[in-house]
Amino acid sequence: MIVAEQKPLEEIRRIIAPYERLLLLGCGTCVTVCGAGGEREISFLNSALRLAQAKSSDGIHSFLEYTVKRQCDFEFLDVLVDKVNEVDAILSLGCGIGVQVVAERFADIPVLPGVNTSFMGMAKEWGVWDERCAACGDCRLAETAGICPITRCTKGILNGPCAGTKNGKCEANKDMDCAWILIYKRLERLQQLEKMRRYYPPRNFRVIPRPRRIVMKADVELGEDNG
Amino acid sequence: MDNKVKNYQANRIREASHGRGLIPPCQVACPLHMEIGEYVDLVAQGKVLEALQVIRDGNPFPSICAYVCTHPCEDACRRSQVDKPIAIRALKRFAVEFGGDRMIQLEAETTQSEKVAVVGSGPAGLACAYYLRKLGYPVTIFEAYSELGGMLRVGIPQYRLPREVVDTEVQRLIHMGVEIKTNTRVISLDLLFDMGYKAIFITVGAHQSLRMGIEGEESPGVIDGATFLREVNLGLKPSLGERVAVVGGGNVAMDAARAAVRLGANKVCILYRRSRAEMPASSGEIEQALEEGVQTMFLVAPTKVKRTNGRLSVTCIRMELGEPDAGGRQRPVPIEGSEFNREFDTLVTAIGQAPQISKDFHIRIGKGSTIQVDPVTLTTNRTGVFAGGDAVTGPATVTQALASGRQAASRIDDYLQHRYPLIDKEAEGTLSGELSPETIEMIRKIERLEPPLLPPEARLKEFKAVELIYNWEAAVNEARRCLRCGMGAEILFQDKCATCLTCLRVCPYHVPYLDDGGTIQIPADQCQACGICVTECPARAIVLRKPYNRKQIDEELEHVLKSAAESKSKPLIIGFCCQYGLFGTGALSSLWREGKAGIWIVPVLCVAKLEEVHILRAFEMGAEGVFIAGCGEQCSRENTAFWVLQRVERIRKALSQIGLEPERLQAFNLSATWGDTAEALDNFTERIGGLCLASAIKQEVKS
Repeated sequence: MIVAEQKPLEEIRRIIAPYERLLLLGCGTCVTVCGAGGEREISFLNSALRLAQAKSSDGIHSFLEYTVKRQCDFEFLDVLVDKVNEVDAILSLGCGIGVQVVAERFADIPVLPGVNTSFMGMAKEWGVWDERCAACGDCRLAETAGICPITRCTKGILNGPCAGTKNGKCEANKDMDCAWILIYKRLERLQQLEKMRRYYPPRNFRVIPRPRRIVMKADVELGEDNG
Repeated sequence: MDNKVKNYQANRIREASHGRGLIPPCQVACPLHMEIGEYVDLVAQGKVLEALQVIRDGNPFPSICAYVCTHPCEDACRRSQVDKPIAIRALKRFAVEFGGDRMIQLEAETTQSEKVAVVGSGPAGLACAYYLRKLGYPVTIFEAYSELGGMLRVGIPQYRLPREVVDTEVQRLIHMGVEIKTNTRVISLDLLFDMGYKAIFITVGAHQSLRMGIEGEESPGVIDGATFLREVNLGLKPSLGERVAVVGGGNVAMDAARAAVRLGANKVCILYRRSRAEMPASSGEIEQALEEGVQTMFLVAPTKVKRTNGRLSVTCIRMELGEPDAGGRQRPVPIEGSEFNREFDTLVTAIGQAPQISKDFHIRIGKGSTIQVDPVTLTTNRTGVFAGGDAVTGPATVTQALASGRQAASRIDDYLQHRYPLIDKEAEGTLSGELSPETIEMIRKIERLEPPLLPPEARLKEFKAVELIYNWEAAVNEARRCLRCGMGAEILFQDKCATCLTCLRVCPYHVPYLDDGGTIQIPADQCQACGICVTECPARAIVLRKPYNRKQIDEELEHVLKSAAESKSKPLIIGFCCQYGLFGTGALSSLWREGKAGIWIVPVLCVAKLEEVHILRAFEMGAEGVFIAGCGEQCSRENTAFWVLQRVERIRKALSQIGLEPERLQAFNLSATWGDTAEALDNFTERIGGLCLASAIKQEVKS
């Protein structure tokens, strides 16, 4: 799941300053789950912005609020057509993908980001989220006992641990587990410690061209004999 | 609201049409199906007039039930799985007394022409007359005795049901236009039809005591329970002598024994052929009888009575318990050769009663001399003749009789309007089931408060009511023990639910779970309706079945803001206070009662249900300071404080980003260990005053 964090109120106020009528647009999927941009957060933001406006007496904004099921697909955005005509800008609380899809769908209106899209991760417990995947495009979890060193090791090294590990914690942050110690312990438990003895050559990140695209559909020509 | 600010929440709004809760077990168990959960909750909120209104909607004579109901609701109460059931009847008594039930006057207009005769004025007859009058029929009650009430008057002793209570209800019926004919025994139904009555409701009760069938039963000094109680209740004072024996183990036996004590008998002894566990009398009755000095002999039955020199020599035989009978109780079996003699001055037999129906009525009589009726329509074999109450069921409870009277009124209405009987629909969506051990473990145990009783010494001399009324605080605290069965949370908007598992993680009672299909389920029979998942749900997909929704708080808040604006008090401080706590014993109640200049209170049904948007709204509308106050040691939840403080922290963060001092928002009295709330509140108001002054000066300097 994509994890995001709402931008500080000051920043949001600065971003929206030029626009009078705004649509606060929530997303009902990832940012709802991580408490950054679901219906509840939209309504909190709406109240907070109104309060800020009342206290500073310098704004004349008006806000609409709406939450779609998912911002990252055009079809979910069709319901917004009428509302978009009534506003000067959209503040999207979707992730970076959502903001761009909304911008692409509504080409004539500024679309502003309300959250900082942070990482891909999981809920550790209520109110705490941890990063788990860097979307490197070349998954090595089979060799590392299901624990990703690229995201969970501060240095992201492929042959660890480094000399900075101490009592199972990382030198960069004493509260953070050393990913390579976790990998070692789990490999030991799985009786696959031989995987630790291998050398993994450094990866060449330059070969990944951006933006990436995945094509599932095959190129087929209709009307021809498949045999 | 600022009309520039359009708050669109148009997508999928269903809250307005959102229905009421599932029917809780107490309501199912009540013969009248009263909305018990509703009025208990209103008492807990201190809304006693509203509580009485709910009670009156479901019960024609709540003041009578408040004294004598056998409260099957309490037996069904699921709180007994945690500790002890809610004292529902005592709470009703409180609502009836404090809500001023006796002051209520009812009017009824005659809109129908068909006259209806009610034969018998017991609870079933009175209830039937009441509902028929409300439907607009002219009604006449025929009563053989000199006063109305049937068993309410001649069966139940005054110390359980004061006569004034029955009188008030009778007066109310007369005021509604019910015609009363006392000292009138109906001997023929044909005569009633000849007099122009189109329908007749027979509810003559079960006044005939069953005979023991033993030698000497006819001797002077042997009296049956029904006759004895009738004489006592009609003001005669039968002379009993020193030693009185009462045979039987039911409520009538208890009433007879306790009445004998009050009439001055020195020694009153109950003879019962089974053991105490099998006694059909209600346990409260038995306990109170024992407190008053009534003695008991179990596993004993009289076999012969002989009267010599004005004294009764009663031969008894000892029993043992054998095989269970059809009803599940062990059958008593005499032990041969165990006879013994005891001397008494009076023997009261109370082993059961049956109706006595005149043959001239020409209606079909069934088992136990009761009238045979269709259980749904209450019709007898004669057209236009309906029957109900004890005359049909055999001796039963007052509440059952009231329900029967109400049912009869609707069926008679159907009959007179030539309508196919509109059968009461089977209750939709009832709630049942055991609480799971995990849920029970998390529910705070709170002791049941019994209403005070008159001390036993004070009871013996007279027939004054034994049970006293709760005071306000006791009633509120008792009512707050209710688990709110069937009012719990449900995911109303499955399409919005992102299955984020927030509800599962925040529920203090571990109720929501993920089913095998990956959908969140919140089982209604376990939910305790605390509302934490409702407020925390990031998709706003959850609501409480009984809508304690955010709109309610919005409305209260708007109302307060309006009044505050009119009063122009400065600085404006708004306090979101636990509604339940405002009427309890704690710090909040004094705040509510005494009031304080500049402090405006928005009552909230538990501060855990308060959302951030409400607090922000209060600031937006000009509050200089906002506080949240819980009900402290009275709180029936364990972790209200954690969730309130989470929200406080979040808003403080927003306040500081806006440029307001975070200390403008404070929370008080959230748990039992909180310090002095009154003092902390004083400090808070002082600080807010200081902040206002400071910002005013800053403004001044700027300009």
